Amino acid sequence: MAKEKNQTRGFWEDLMLTDKFPEPWPKQRTEQNEEAEDTAAGETGEGTKDRAVKCSPTLLRMLKAAESRWTPDGRDRNKAAPSEMGLKETEAEALKTYMSCSVSQCERSASMKKAYNLVNVSKAKQQETVQSICIKQIQLSDHQEEFNKLPTKAGPLPRSHSVSQLSEDSFSSVGSVSSEDESSPQDKLQKTSNGLSDFCIKNIKQADFGRKEIDIAQQGMPALMILRKRAGEEKPLAGAKVVGCTHITAQTAVLIETLAALGAQCRWAACNIFSTQNTVAAALAEGGISVFAWRGESEDDFWWCIDRCVAANSWEPNLILDDGGDLTHWIYEKYPNLFEKLKGIVEESVTGIYRLYQLSKASKLCVPAMNVNDSVTKQKFDNLYCCKESILDGLKRTTDVMLGGRQVVVCGYGEVGKGCCAALKGLGAVIYVTEVDPICALQACMDGLRVITLSEVIRHTDMVITCTGNKNVITREHFDRMRSGCVVCNMGHSNTEIDLASLRTTELKWHRVRPHVDHIIWPDGKQVVLLAEGRLLNLSCSTVPSFVLSVTAVTQALALIELYNAPAGRYKQGVYLLPKKMDEYVAGLHLPIFDAHLTELTDEQAQYLGISKHGPFKPNYYRY
Amino acid sequence: MSETGGEAKAEVKQASKEVKESENVAEKYSAMTVSKNSEINMGELSSAFSAVPTHKPVKKQIQFVEEKQEFSRFPTKTGRRSLSRSISQSSTDSYSSAASYTDSSDDETSPREKTQVNSKGSSDFCVKNIKQAEFGRREIEIAEQDMSALISLRKRAQSEKPLAGAKIVGCTHITAQTAVLIETLVALGAQCRWTACNIYSTQNEVAAALAERGVAVFAWKGESEDDFWWCIDCCVNTEGWQPNMILDDGGDLTHWVYKKYPNVFKKIRGIVEESVTGVHRLYQLSKAGKLCVPAMNVNDSVTKQKFDNLYCCRESILDGLKRTTDVMFGGKQVVVCGYGEVGKGCSAALKALGAVVYVTEIDPICGLQACMDGFRVVKLNEVIRLVDVIITCTGNKNVVTRDQLDRMKNGCIVCNMGHSNTEIDVASLRTPELTWERVRSQVDHVIWPDGKRVILLAEGRLLNLSCSTVPTFVLSITATTQALALIELYNAPDGRYKQDVYLLPKKMDEYVASLHLATFDAHLTELTDEQAKYLGLNKNGPFKPNYYRY
Repeated sequence: MAKEKNQTRGFWEDLMLTDKFPEPWPKQRTEQNEEAEDTAAGETGEGTKDRAVKCSPTLLRMLKAAESRWTPDGRDRNKAAPSEMGLKETEAEALKTYMSCSVSQCERSASMKKAYNLVNVSKAKQQETVQSICIKQIQLSDHQEEFNKLPTKAGPLPRSHSVSQLSEDSFSSVGSVSSEDESSPQDKLQKTSNGLSDFCIKNIKQADFGRKEIDIAQQGMPALMILRKRAGEEKPLAGAKVVGCTHITAQTAVLIETLAALGAQCRWAACNIFSTQNTVAAALAEGGISVFAWRGESEDDFWWCIDRCVAANSWEPNLILDDGGDLTHWIYEKYPNLFEKLKGIVEESVTGIYRLYQLSKASKLCVPAMNVNDSVTKQKFDNLYCCKESILDGLKRTTDVMLGGRQVVVCGYGEVGKGCCAALKGLGAVIYVTEVDPICALQACMDGLRVITLSEVIRHTDMVITCTGNKNVITREHFDRMRSGCVVCNMGHSNTEIDLASLRTTELKWHRVRPHVDHIIWPDGKQVVLLAEGRLLNLSCSTVPSFVLSVTAVTQALALIELYNAPAGRYKQGVYLLPKKMDEYVAGLHLPIFDAHLTELTDEQAQYLGISKHGPFKPNYYRY
Repeated sequence: MSETGGEAKAEVKQASKEVKESENVAEKYSAMTVSKNSEINMGELSSAFSAVPTHKPVKKQIQFVEEKQEFSRFPTKTGRRSLSRSISQSSTDSYSSAASYTDSSDDETSPREKTQVNSKGSSDFCVKNIKQAEFGRREIEIAEQDMSALISLRKRAQSEKPLAGAKIVGCTHITAQTAVLIETLVALGAQCRWTACNIYSTQNEVAAALAERGVAVFAWKGESEDDFWWCIDCCVNTEGWQPNMILDDGGDLTHWVYKKYPNVFKKIRGIVEESVTGVHRLYQLSKAGKLCVPAMNVNDSVTKQKFDNLYCCRESILDGLKRTTDVMFGGKQVVVCGYGEVGKGCSAALKALGAVVYVTEIDPICGLQACMDGFRVVKLNEVIRLVDVIITCTGNKNVVTRDQLDRMKNGCIVCNMGHSNTEIDVASLRTPELTWERVRSQVDHVIWPDGKRVILLAEGRLLNLSCSTVPTFVLSITATTQALALIELYNAPDGRYKQDVYLLPKKMDEYVASLHLATFDAHLTELTDEQAKYLGLNKNGPFKPNYYRY
């Protein structure tokens, strides 16, 4: 009986979910109406029908601007680019201290080099990183508990915090430049060149330096710049008061400044005590944004910063941009009056969304919230495309292994697994897949990969990569049977996939050969190579391209715009997914980078298909 | 495949398969080689040859027009549509030769007027010729080889008889593959009465074999419109037998029962519908509040969608192009219009052969996917002068216009993998200044006054239906999905399904996939209790939330 119940619930969940989409397709409307009748909430069905037609006027204008397709803007950008680049060149040369690479290189390779320098040079700094790692682990185990309680989000889970966390690692060299005094920024009174002092950061004097960082990041995030240019005059966020809590990195800074350019007033805090780039925070403060964040905050500082963001005189936030749910939680607990007046919450991380769903289930969520984590574009980029690139990057940086002809086991064939397999196959590796879900297993078969159980092949594989989102996928027993030199790493979720605890025994010797590379030596001399101590390989040993962060940032910006401009009644108290039209707009903003030219429907064709010429083009259940 | 069955039997099957294949191939090749030789005196011969293939397509076009109208009234299913009828239609084409050579010698009296009796004395069926049963049985056995999933379902559930008491009336293409499905349903305890959903697609000998085994089949190849409805009526309207389940493909049967036998319709426990058209009709009924029974939409199940579109088209695009044109793809410039499931499959297959692939798209999300997969996203007009092959798979109309056809380079191949025959504006090519030359069956050269030739495949109809076969494996997925949908609807406790159109539950979808894994000798990993608890999942699935995109 219980089983049956589960199944029916599966159905209703499906229907509920479609109800979350603000722009339903007619076909689903039938389901919705049906549901609405059942739950005696007939008005929602009616409401959703209207939503499909209505759209905020500003947005319509914005999207109409997209009609003229990206080409003109793209050209503009290209024209502008050389001069900007030239400028950068001179400036950067004056600043030789921090970049040893040629200036013409793009932002990504620059950051890669930096990360590399860090790896090679700073043995001393290693201690610091190790320290931060310990603390991170504590955080992760915290998340893990929350995940235990999370029944729906199964399969390869995306990272608990947003992906931008890893910019922390790649940029840590810049952030930790400070060899300054150790007094807490809380005690210092600093002023910007304009005389403002409503901020709290490490050292305002680093602003120039941070501005460079932001300029570089802007190069890698042209979509945000296009959005800024396109909607800058309209100021769709005029009057919006955004309080934000994210990683404070150069990429986020571009987002914050974009929001400011669109008319919003922003106050910002960091969502992670280690991830802040002090220089960037300084540059933001200098630019007039109230930032409360520095690298290496204490737990106390962390909450103090958040509180300073919210509790400002005569300034009441009406939008929240959150990553992890800490800020939302704080306002909900401490400032219930403010919370009720919010126009919307945009949440990026899985953890935060889980918290929101819990609030919503307890019907304590009195404002609309937008789940940007599960938007199509973001999901594909965070998982499939990003991992496709970073698996090779991470393996090469850490082990210098040659992958052609190697036998590799990839555990799990979700989005991450699909990306890893595609990349490794491209280099000629022989790939085996392990899977629990028959549908994904069948996909693996059709993609030409052998589906096996791990213990069948463990004796002769050269490499094991986990991306299941599960725990103890590789056990001590597997380790004991591996052959010497086998490389083990984790691309999945937190650090539970590999059973590390079982390796901390006296008979095994751990030998650190490089940062993030451990040799574990068995008594008989067998060596197993463990990368990043079982933590996420792509967070520890490779960088996330700015392009991926750009997708996230644009999605967040559009979600804020949508929530702020939506006519009253479109969003009620619940957790919504980004409307498909916005998702398509995010993708559209990124197309000029590839010089891709979209085809436009003729009126006749649009009529034949029964869709609008400007999208949305697909029904909500479309799987991409 | 029973191992104890003995080698002899296997050999026979193998041999018969070869015979059949060689006959198929021979027919196709004779057409090709002759037409090659005849390039000089094309005039006479082409007319002789066109006599054979055109007679069928013409009638089909009429059908398509009708379907097209239905589609234009159809606002919801946009983007990449799967075929309007179920994909199994294509098996008609590939097997038509087998069906046709047994027909020829028969008399021309309508089966309706003949009284035939099978070996058990039953005469509750109407097929062309019951004597072909033995031959049809061999067809079915061949199909069983590739449908191991259905056979293992049969084996697994045979003792349980989950369909005991089910009275299923079905209306699908009657081919060897469907026969395997029908006999599986019977093995699971159901009583079946069956009719054809298409007047041309029936394999007479398969129908005979089914009738011989006691399934009441009313179908033959080449029914008239009148016969078609008569057959459907015979299925439903029998004394002492009231159907309680419907398995439909196209919605004709459902419509008939709904209109003519409203009392029977009310007592139905469930409808399983396979085709886009039929599903659309059901949604309309449901919207009008007239659907008083639960219906299951198997067309949109994950497994079926992926196989009908992505995997099937990935293989058939190469097959279809090679069979018709013998083109070499390495280094050729190809435009794929549309990057949905079909477009993704086509692009991947062509890229693997070293073609330079361009993509056109209207949807920015799919456009971005194409970019990330390493394809140039262009407008058709930008590259039309350069390309060697144009493949349409948009589901839209007039994607390739006369204007674009005028600007193509000499020898450009144009074909359609998308939806019906609207994607290429073929009508605009029927003008007096252009000469049409049929060089092979399904291959036309359209010649401009200046001598430029454009090669049009299958007259703009679906390439994979006309010029290649659908693998039995794909049909097996569909058939298994249908069988499980029937089982689910029949065994569901009261109240789980109300009066609405449902998607197959994910657990069933996963079961379909797992039944097919054995074919690949794939070994699924099992969750330990601890892991299942950690993920908050049942050990036996469903493994993914409903919104998971695969």
